[in-house]
Amino acid sequence: MIRVEHITKQFKNLIAVDDVSLEVKKGEVVCLIGPSGSGKSTVLRCINGLEKPEKGQIYFDDELFDLKNKEKYNLMRRKMGFVFQHFNLFPNMTVLQNLTLAPIQVMKMSESEATTIAEKYLDRVGLLDKRDEYPNKLSGGQKQRVAIARSLCLNPEIMLFDEPTSALDPEMIIEVLQVMKELSEEGMTMIVVTHEMGFAKTVANRVIFLENGQIIEENDARAFFDNPQTERAQDFLNKVMY
Amino acid sequence: MFSAFDEIVTVSNLLFLLKGAGISLGLAAVSLFFGLILGIIGAACKISKNRVLQIIANVYVEVIRGTPMLLQIYLIFNVVPMIVSYFTGSPFRMNYYLIGIIAMSINSGAYQVELIRSGINGVDKGQWEACETIGLSYFQTLRFVVLPQAFKRIIPPLVSEFITLIKDSSLISCIGAIELMNASKVLGNQYYEYMTPYCLAGVYYLVMTLTISQISKALERKLSESD
Repeated sequence: MIRVEHITKQFKNLIAVDDVSLEVKKGEVVCLIGPSGSGKSTVLRCINGLEKPEKGQIYFDDELFDLKNKEKYNLMRRKMGFVFQHFNLFPNMTVLQNLTLAPIQVMKMSESEATTIAEKYLDRVGLLDKRDEYPNKLSGGQKQRVAIARSLCLNPEIMLFDEPTSALDPEMIIEVLQVMKELSEEGMTMIVVTHEMGFAKTVANRVIFLENGQIIEENDARAFFDNPQTERAQDFLNKVMY
Repeated sequence: MFSAFDEIVTVSNLLFLLKGAGISLGLAAVSLFFGLILGIIGAACKISKNRVLQIIANVYVEVIRGTPMLLQIYLIFNVVPMIVSYFTGSPFRMNYYLIGIIAMSINSGAYQVELIRSGINGVDKGQWEACETIGLSYFQTLRFVVLPQAFKRIIPPLVSEFITLIKDSSLISCIGAIELMNASKVLGNQYYEYMTPYCLAGVYYLVMTLTISQISKALERKLSESD
């Protein structure tokens, strides 16, 4: 579904992503893990186009992401949902308005149609009763669930998560991971950048371990955690798994 | 000093000044509004990635802020009619108030460009990114997400811009418009006593500016509640 070929991304004199290639198939859950600054978030942001790689290509369903064809590019991009570490809900709008903005403005749905869809997804993340609240009245976990619902309203074929639980208080993490787990069980294709090793181990099909912008190890999730092949992956797991 | 105080402080003279004050306030309000539109356009140009638009906005801001408003008023008062007459061949005069509104709007717009730009820059970058990922265009992002958040921050400086405009509207008196400043001068000329009318005008200005700054403080308090 997503094929990344030899992408490189440089920030000033730091090479954040160094010749990374990967493939994600439909229905797969792939976790990108690695130490801070390993480039895993940048890889994810390149896939969505939030960062433009200097080299390499990204294909979606065998179609090239081509910046020159703006219309097609935007259309392809809309098939990807993106969830941020810091939620990025719109504080000037209610929860419902956050969800219906893009369906109404971008997909040209009627307000009632968009509201029906938004309510469906709010219900799914268990927050229908918060529809008329403003984001500042929600807890971190609730905000992130709203952000997930906002992405789902656009009916994406793949969901990208950029450290979705890193900004949350510990007791809020489970509720977000639960929503993500349910999504994966429904067959959603997902790429997740995370530090939640427990989640990666149980939910992911595959784990990609990055360091210094390069893929060091890539394996079936269980195999990776039980028996990491490279020394650096072993070292990393020893440090993060208690 | 206040030799003609009793003669000047009559209901009809006070109403005459009040009318002038109304004109000053009206000129300031209309100019603030058009200045806001210019400010939004200029700020959008400045933060856009288009070099030409950036340069146009920069030149506008620097030229207007770097020259006196009185000069801008005289330019529109004297030069624009000359140009129009040159092309049409017939004499052309512009309404004083229209000149005032045009000059003050253009002037205020330049200040508001910077004001709005800083308000927009104060909005978290993540808001732009979120809009990008859900497919909103640049202008939709500005309109629905960024500007509403930016405006909340810029209300206080916008109010002080309004107060500045009320005071600066006195410059229009130089081309003969009867706003508050000129109205007080007219009264002074009439009674050969300037102390009373000028002091009265000062009181009128203060009432307007103090009222507005009080409203602004209340508004700020109310807005900060939702943070």
